[in-house]
Amino acid sequence: MTDDYYPWGGEFAICSRQGCVAVVILNVQYTPPPSVAIYGPLRTENIGIEKIIANTISNPWIRFLVLCGEDIRGHRSGSSLIALHKNGIDSNHRIIHAPGAIPYIENLKEEAIKRFQTQLSIIDLIGEKEKEKIDAVIGECIKKSPQSFGEPYIAIRLKPQTTVTLTDNRALHSKIIIDYLGKVKKRGA
Amino acid sequence: MFSFTKEQKVFDISGLTIGGQPGMYPTVLFGGLFFKGEPDFDDAKRHLQTSYEHSKRTGVPVIPDFFIRKVEYIEPILSFIEKVVPKKHPFSIDIIEPSIKIQTLEQLGSRKLLPRTIYNSIHIGMTKEENDALRTYTPEAAIVVAFNPKDKSPDGKIEVLENGAHLLEFGLLDIARRIGIEKLLIDTAALAPGENSGAAIAALPVIKEEYGLPTGCAIHNVVEKSRWLNDFPFAKKTVDVASNNAIPLFGGDYAIFGPIENVELVVPLIAWQDILVSEYTENYFGISPVASHPRRKLLK
Repeated sequence: MTDDYYPWGGEFAICSRQGCVAVVILNVQYTPPPSVAIYGPLRTENIGIEKIIANTISNPWIRFLVLCGEDIRGHRSGSSLIALHKNGIDSNHRIIHAPGAIPYIENLKEEAIKRFQTQLSIIDLIGEKEKEKIDAVIGECIKKSPQSFGEPYIAIRLKPQTTVTLTDNRALHSKIIIDYLGKVKKRGA
Repeated sequence: MFSFTKEQKVFDISGLTIGGQPGMYPTVLFGGLFFKGEPDFDDAKRHLQTSYEHSKRTGVPVIPDFFIRKVEYIEPILSFIEKVVPKKHPFSIDIIEPSIKIQTLEQLGSRKLLPRTIYNSIHIGMTKEENDALRTYTPEAAIVVAFNPKDKSPDGKIEVLENGAHLLEFGLLDIARRIGIEKLLIDTAALAPGENSGAAIAALPVIKEEYGLPTGCAIHNVVEKSRWLNDFPFAKKTVDVASNNAIPLFGGDYAIFGPIENVELVVPLIAWQDILVSEYTENYFGISPVASHPRRKLLK
């Protein structure tokens, strides 16, 4: 879903508008209490992480990011997200010391990552699968009732709906030409 | 339905033929085993037998794609391959964790299985250790995944193959060839809905015209990630199976169709699609299907 507060659509669920907790659900069947701001699954160590950053820094009320459940095997998405919060990215946009297979952040500016690092505190419950324990930690975060971080940070804006008028005869892609029978040729070759 | 101007490479991988102009060779299928839980070898054996029977009847080859999730599964899965996969038949190994990839390569080497191995896969996350292991234990063929996290369009996919898209020193094709793997199958990296999922299909003819290499993808992953389909349980499997049709239709050479349990549905579907493609491409482009093609096997 998409929402004004959360610019990058996805599988997340929105709960309390001014909740201070976002919950990242790894490999576990768990539904957080309605007092959290937002929750959803994390699968990949690249685009998945980017979505979480974009959709947490866009709501300045969110100050805690709780990760729970077993980490995603191979992708190690949860641990890679924690590595990003701790270490940032290198000059190739790779998350420093991330254990995931392809831990690259390519669609966000460094400023967005810095904002994520300062706005949010990470609560590492990776490996924890018991609902009562996770609920209790979330409850403790909410009790702290932190202030809003200020203005929303919109890291990504999805393109608005547009009507495209095709003025040339490109078929499928600009690199190739397909004639009326289906013969493919490289454009300009 | 297409025909390409660029010469299309055809690879023989342990007796299996892949690539070429659309309509010449049957589309190759990769069916996955052991995605979840403990490996169930009896179940896997049954599915493999069904796969080979369906291949024999239709001409559509099925390659078992063994997912190895844990170090302790390497030994039993490779032993299973030695015992159950017919001698000289190719298979692929699908592993995410680099350390498990390296250990599996070592064991494939010691068991002399590398000439039958399709390595799934080489991508931008390859570690130096994995690269070193591949140089020592070089598989017969490899799937090269054109995933570019920055640019998910066909151009971005070509960029990562060509020059590494500033994420790597060299392009993925160059890296694979420097390792010594010449039989490269390009995977156009199907992504989730909302992440330019259609680019994986559109990239098939673009990449084939660019490189002439066998090209395909795991388009069924897009279906798996289409959560809204959970509200249509009756249709979900049909959509999952049918998604594979787009690959031969757009000139692709292979489909990684997900769990091998679906083989009885996917093989006839692809045979049907291959016949459709072959009838057109022979008529208009003079591409004659090989003797093992479904059109030759099923239309008497």
